[in-house]
Amino acid sequence: MPKLLMFHGRECPHCRAMMPLVDRLEKETGSSIERHEVWHDEKNADLMRSYRPILTPQCGGQLRVPTFLNTETNDAVCGEMPYEKLKEWATK
Amino acid sequence: MKKFWRCFVCNDIHYGFKPPELCPTCKVKNAYVEISAKEAKMIACAAAEGDFTKEDFRRAIEKFTAANPFKVNPDRDRTDILLEGIFSNEASHDLKYCPCRLMSKDWEEDLKIVCPCNFLIHETYQGRDKGECWCGLFIKR
Repeated sequence: MPKLLMFHGRECPHCRAMMPLVDRLEKETGSSIERHEVWHDEKNADLMRSYRPILTPQCGGQLRVPTFLNTETNDAVCGEMPYEKLKEWATK
Repeated sequence: MKKFWRCFVCNDIHYGFKPPELCPTCKVKNAYVEISAKEAKMIACAAAEGDFTKEDFRRAIEKFTAANPFKVNPDRDRTDILLEGIFSNEASHDLKYCPCRLMSKDWEEDLKIVCPCNFLIHETYQGRDKGECWCGLFIKR
């Protein structure tokens, strides 16, 4: 089963805006998205950095939050997005 | 490689490949001499008085944007959160890193995410009518 990760920042408004959509997605699809706050937790930051070669080509060349990563397919989407786009990423 | 330069008349500090021909403060020509990073730090830190608060930073970026085609986002709730993050990152990691990105621990790369960053090249800004920097602190006028 693929592992779905969300990297987010506590003071990132885009991340805050995505949280209710992530909650809804989990509820509607029964999937689970592991949330990792990266600015106040060095372990989470290191985890995100460990995916740098996978994430940066898909996210404007940088480590950006929010970032959603499927660790099986390495498919990543970044930034604030509509619910349908998030669902498409999660159910691909 | 960029170096530090000091005006021998008024002690202004410049960081760059070349010194300014004319000192922007005392207007003396050919006044800059190369100095060490340690000297530059001593002079710059000794000259700085008091804290640079969130409101000082807000005023600074408003002044910075005044003559530019972009402005500080008028959504105060949003900018309050962002400034909170920027200052929290400075307290923990020494520079005003963008709260909507993450340090890679590659110094040159990480300088690109110090606020204000060069957001003119962001895909969220470039070529868009309602462009904004990645985090949304700056938006097109």
